[in-house]
Amino acid sequence: MTAIAAVALGGLPGPIILVAAAVVLPAMAARVLGRLVRTALLLALPIAISAFLVNLFFFPGATQVLFRIGPIVATVEGFGFALEILIRILAISGAVTLFYLTARPGDLTLDLERRGISPRIAFVINASVQTVPALVERAGQITAAQRARGLDTEGNIWRRVRGIVPIVGPVILGSIAEVEERTMALEARGFTRPGRRTLLWTPADSVRQSIGRWLMLAALVGLIVVRLTGVLG
Amino acid sequence: MSHDWPGPSPVTELRTEGLVHRYADGGVRALDGVDLHVAAGERVAIVGQNGSGKTTLVRHLNGLLRPTEGRVTVDGTDAAGLTIAQLASRVGLVFQDPDRQIFAGSVRSEVEFGPRNLGRAGAELRNAVSAALDATGLAGEEATNPYDLGQSRRKLLALASVLAMRTPVLVLDEPTTGQDARGLERVRTVIESAASEGRTVIAISHDMRFVAESFERVIVMRAGAIILDGSASHVFAADAWDALASTHLEPPLAAAIGQRLDLGSTPTDASLIRALGP
Amino acid sequence: MIALAGVGYRYAGAAGPALLDIDLELRDGEVVGLAGASEAGKTTLCLVVSGLAPRTVGGQIRGQVTLDGEDVDAWPMHRLSQTIGIGFQNPSTQLSGVTDTVFEEVAFGPMNLALPRVEVVARSWAALDLLRIDALAERDPRRLSGGQQQLVAMAGLLAMRPAHLVLDEPTAQLDPAGTRMVGEAIERLAADGASILIAEQKTDLLASICSRLLVLDGGRVALSGPSAEVLADLELSRLGVAEPSEVRLRRAADAAGANVARLAGAFARD
Repeated sequence: MTAIAAVALGGLPGPIILVAAAVVLPAMAARVLGRLVRTALLLALPIAISAFLVNLFFFPGATQVLFRIGPIVATVEGFGFALEILIRILAISGAVTLFYLTARPGDLTLDLERRGISPRIAFVINASVQTVPALVERAGQITAAQRARGLDTEGNIWRRVRGIVPIVGPVILGSIAEVEERTMALEARGFTRPGRRTLLWTPADSVRQSIGRWLMLAALVGLIVVRLTGVLG
Repeated sequence: MSHDWPGPSPVTELRTEGLVHRYADGGVRALDGVDLHVAAGERVAIVGQNGSGKTTLVRHLNGLLRPTEGRVTVDGTDAAGLTIAQLASRVGLVFQDPDRQIFAGSVRSEVEFGPRNLGRAGAELRNAVSAALDATGLAGEEATNPYDLGQSRRKLLALASVLAMRTPVLVLDEPTTGQDARGLERVRTVIESAASEGRTVIAISHDMRFVAESFERVIVMRAGAIILDGSASHVFAADAWDALASTHLEPPLAAAIGQRLDLGSTPTDASLIRALGP
Repeated sequence: MIALAGVGYRYAGAAGPALLDIDLELRDGEVVGLAGASEAGKTTLCLVVSGLAPRTVGGQIRGQVTLDGEDVDAWPMHRLSQTIGIGFQNPSTQLSGVTDTVFEEVAFGPMNLALPRVEVVARSWAALDLLRIDALAERDPRRLSGGQQQLVAMAGLLAMRPAHLVLDEPTAQLDPAGTRMVGEAIERLAADGASILIAEQKTDLLASICSRLLVLDGGRVALSGPSAEVLADLELSRLGVAEPSEVRLRRAADAAGANVARLAGAFARD
C-alpha cells in the first residue's frame, strides 16, 4: 500500500513524509533500520541511478540550466523531477524490503490458512523458502566431491563450462530423489487428507491492527480518488 | 598441465602440524590443533562421533578445506601452495554419499571421469577402469546406468571411480555406513589389495569390528582433537575404554569378551579365538 | 494384524518384479525382523506393507493385503497412515522442513488429521514422552543430531497412534551414539507391546528385539521363522546377511578347536 500511495501522492514533500512515516518509523520500531537501508538501497540502486540521470539530463521541455558537461545539459526542472522519481523509488523499495524483513513466512501462511487457503498450498509456500539454502548446500557438497576427482574449476572457460555437467546432474537428480522421499514421509503423516487441518495457534492480531489496516486502505482509496479528480491540482 | 605434481616421489607421506579449522559461520573450532603423521603405506582408521572433526580433518588432506591455522604437508610440500586438482592426483577421497558424486549415464563413464581429469587416456585409462571395476565387483556392468544399481553397489561405484585414479593415498569417508554384508566384504578386499600395492589407506568408520580387523592403526577423535592413537590392540584395550566411552564409542565385541574372560587385549575375532585356547 | 498373501509388486516401468509371492503376518504386539542383502526387496516390502506402494510410489501390486481381515486395496493413503506408520533411513528427509520446534514437528501428523487441538497436544506430548525426548520439544528439529532427528521422526509417527510401525533401516545412517539411542527406543517400544516390522543390516539388533525374522532374496522369502532359528541358519552368509556376533564367534571358535564352552560362558553373563 505504501508503494501505491507513494506514486499517487503528487509533488515532493508528500512522498518524503510518507517514507518517513510508513517505512522508516516502523523499521526503527522493528529494529531493522540498518538492514532495511542497506537492502532497500541495493535493491533500488540500478533503477534509481538510471532514472535520476535520465531525468536530470534529458527532461523534455526544460529551460533553466543547472550545469553543463560538454554537450549534455542538466536542467533545474529535470533535477526537481528526478528527485521526485527518486523518492518514489525509495518508497517502493523501502516498503517491499520492510515487508520482507518483518513478515515471518510461517505466520503469513498460517494466517492465510486460517482464512481458507488449503493446508497443502500453505505447505508448498513454506517449503519453497527452504529450498534455496538446501539446494545451495547440496551443490556445494557435489562440487567438493567432483573437485576431489580432479574436476578443474579454475581453468579456461571451456573447461569450466564442461565442468558444469558433473555438478548440475547430481544436484537435480539428488533433489528429485529427495523430493520422492520427502513426499512419502509426508503422506505417511496424513498430509494428503483433503480438507482443513487443526492449527495449533493463529498469529496475534489485535482489533487495533485490524482497524489500522482498514484505515490505511480507506486513506489509499481516498488518495487515489483525490488525485484522479484533480481536486488538489 | 594443471595436475602436474611439483615433487619428486610417487610415494606419499602426509603430515599436519597444529592444524586448526574454524568454519566461517560458526566460530566453533572444528579442529583444535591436530598434529598427525601418516607414513606411506599405512592403514589408518579414524573413529569418533559425528561432529568430532573426522571429515573436516580428511578434507584438509586433498585441499578441499584450507587450514585456519597450522600446516598440512603432502610429501614434504606445503599443501597451501597446491590446487585441489594437483592434490587429487596424490590423495583420492571417496565421499560418504555416492549420490552426491554420480552423474554419468553409465558405470564406465563414471569411473573414467576421475582418471580422465588426471590426464590418463588410451590403454592406461582402460586398464585403470577395468581394474577398478574388477576390484569392486562391478565388472560386466560397464553399460549399466548407475541409478539402476542398488544403494550398496552405487557406493562401490563411487569407490571404483576413485580407485581408478590410482592415487598413492586413498581416503574413504564412511565406506561401511549403509553398506550390506557383501559390500562390506568388498570394501575389506579393496583395502587389503590397496595396502599390498603400497598405497596409504585412511578410512573413517563407525564399525569398530571392521576397524579392528582391517587397520593397523586407529585414531580416536573427540571435539576436534585426537584423544587416542595407536594399534587396535592398544586403542581397544580395557584401559582405553573410559576414553572411548567419553565419546560414546564401544570397543568391538571381541575386545569386550576378551576382557570379560581376562584374556588381555583381543580386538579382533582371530585374536580372541587364539587367546581362548583349546 | 497386517497380512500379506501371495503378494507381488513391480515398480512402474521396471523390467521384472521387485517382490514375488510374499506371505507375511504381523500380529499385534509382535516384532518381526526383515533381513537381506541390498536390493533383496526389504525397502519395497516395507513400502508395500505401509501402503505407500502402490499408492504414492505407483507400480502394480498383486495378491492381497489385509488389515484385521479387511482388504485395504481401496483405502487411500491418509486412512492407512492412521493405522500403519513408516519410518525411513534418512533422518532429515523425514522432517517436514516447515516447523521451527520439535513439538510442532511431532504435532504435524495429528494436525493433518484435523483432530481437536486438545487431542493434538495430548498426543504430541505422549509421543515425545514415550521416546524420552520431551526435553527436545522447543529445539529446532533441523539442528539436531541424526539420532535425535530419527527419534523426532518416530515420535511424529507415533503421534498418529498407528497400530503397527514399519521401520526401514532406521539406524543405517547413524553414528554409534545415534544407533544406541534409536536401538534402545525401539527395544522399549517392543517391550511395551508395539507391533513392529523392522528391516535392518545389523543382525545383532534384530537378534535382540525380534521374535520372528524373514530373510529376503531376490524379492522372495528365503527364510522365515523364529529369529533364533533363522539367525543360526547356515544359509545366511550365502544370502548376503551377516551372522549375529555370538553365532559368528562361536562358529569361529569351533572351527579353530578353541574352548567354545568358555566363550559361551562369557556370552551368558550378558
